[in-house]
Amino acid sequence: MYTWPHWLPLVVLTPLLGAALTPIVSLRTRHVAPWWALGMMTVTSVAAGMLILRVALEGPFSYLPGGWVRPYGIELRFDEFSASISVICLIGWLAVLYSFRYTEWLREVPKQRIPYYYALLLLNLGGMIGFVVTGDLFNLFVFLEILSLSGYALVAVSGEHIAEMAAFKYLLMGAISSLIVLFSVGILFGITGSLNMADVASRLGDTGSVAPAALALGMLTVGFMVKAALFPVHIWLPDAHSIAPSPISAVLSGLVVKLGILGMLRLYQIYYTSGIIDLFVLNQILVWLGAISIIMGAFFAVFQDDIKLMLAYSTISNIGYIVMGLGLFTNFSIIGGSVHVFNHAIIKATLFFAAGAMIYRTGYRTLSDLRGIGSSMPLTSIAISIGAISIVGIPPTAGFLCKWYIALGAFEANQPFFGFVLIFGALLIFVYYIRMVNAFYFQAPVRQEVVDATEAPASMLYPTLLLAALCLIMGVLGRIPLAFIEPAVQRLLTPLGG
Amino acid sequence: MLEALWNNVDYVASVVLFCIGLYIIIAKNNLIKKFLGLNIMETAVFAFIIALGVVDDGSPPIMGEGASGPFASPIPHALVLTGIVVAVSTTALALSLIIRIYRQCGTIEADELREME
Repeated sequence: MYTWPHWLPLVVLTPLLGAALTPIVSLRTRHVAPWWALGMMTVTSVAAGMLILRVALEGPFSYLPGGWVRPYGIELRFDEFSASISVICLIGWLAVLYSFRYTEWLREVPKQRIPYYYALLLLNLGGMIGFVVTGDLFNLFVFLEILSLSGYALVAVSGEHIAEMAAFKYLLMGAISSLIVLFSVGILFGITGSLNMADVASRLGDTGSVAPAALALGMLTVGFMVKAALFPVHIWLPDAHSIAPSPISAVLSGLVVKLGILGMLRLYQIYYTSGIIDLFVLNQILVWLGAISIIMGAFFAVFQDDIKLMLAYSTISNIGYIVMGLGLFTNFSIIGGSVHVFNHAIIKATLFFAAGAMIYRTGYRTLSDLRGIGSSMPLTSIAISIGAISIVGIPPTAGFLCKWYIALGAFEANQPFFGFVLIFGALLIFVYYIRMVNAFYFQAPVRQEVVDATEAPASMLYPTLLLAALCLIMGVLGRIPLAFIEPAVQRLLTPLGG
Repeated sequence: MLEALWNNVDYVASVVLFCIGLYIIIAKNNLIKKFLGLNIMETAVFAFIIALGVVDDGSPPIMGEGASGPFASPIPHALVLTGIVVAVSTTALALSLIIRIYRQCGTIEADELREME
């Protein structure tokens, strides 16, 4: 069953075709659209499950659409890093479910336009899945654009008064970074004459053109850094992620920024295999930028009153952890960083879903307005508390294990300073966690709406609770993704040693 | 050095054009002008990729009677065609956002918009 080769194109095509067909199937009755999107995501999730089963049992495999052999045809490649489509499918599926009631509530979206919202969401998820499984540099760019463009549009959906400005800022920086990526794909094509990643990797070493290869590496890194919102190119993130509708915030913050990281991982794969450039300098730069992001993101998060803005800044901080893990470039730290891509997605989706449920019920989004909500929305408050513990990294939650591994990596690389940066960042976030728990549970309500609030509808509450439970489960069962990603990291590191 | 630059004048031109576009995005105040800067950058990248496919004395890569090499590489054209589609959709989205910004705020000057926030 799982060896059927066509699961791989199916997992990319289902959401993309589903997105294209959404306006058509919901032409007569717009109520079909959410169910259609949910169905498409279900099919995608099944296909993703089969693919992950196959990669776990057989190792990485490829699919050649149309039977055109490498390097002439386009290649879809599935390896251990591609297994992150599991979290894309999970959060995508839950975000569609969460949107059922949330979109009806958005003032600015006319009811007959709601199908387009689902089309954009499916397009975004399909773009992400394609980005993760493609083995071709140009397709990497195309999928990057699909997911970015749908992301810009989705930010503008919310109808908050600066939503369009935030979306435009996001678009401007995102489009520049995409062009930088395309430029460097062009350079790589120019020096190797190929677009297939594995082929580029094998040819790059023989070309001997070190300077263009280094230029392409630097530009690709900058391009992916903008997508990942690493300091100093993070400025688009806080507005865009806090203003977007809550299910979209969860998708953008949990998944879309991670694609920049996965792009960097692909880049590492190419450049380490070819061994054309010593990546030491790049790694040092990444470690420092990661460390600054951790501290700066956490620092700004502490002073936010707006709950979604705080979560957006904490995303910058967590991207810093992941990039620092990659930059330290030891066995432990890369494993920790790659698994944090997965775990942070779950944690951040929990937090944004729970925050969205509170905003949905009360209409307020600042901590000072939401005081005392712990007694009127107990389950949502517990979910957000669990998410916050995870993001601080207190054992036994999902966040602990990755940060532990990254810290181990820092000591393994003989750079204990970065281990302390990591702990300091966690402490800063802990301050915010205390503020939040204090406001939710120990202060008297100041708003009547907060007192009257009830738990969010089932389609919003259960996804939140499921993700909160996963935050705890992944802390206990955290060894499974770690063991899964380990062979991939070993393969990535081998050319360095031998 | 100068000779190397002159021999690769097509690449130099696209890099210069790229930087002009970037400068416009950073320096100009009007959102539409910022966006035109982005379009200039796009053109620069497309010109660069097209230039990659040129072969000295190359003929069009069309098979048939009397076709003889060397051929120009057709791949960059396919890439740029796709790139143009992406650029058009970016333009459409950005312009529609600018229209909505204008309707809501009555201005599309970046500094006035910043004051409104």
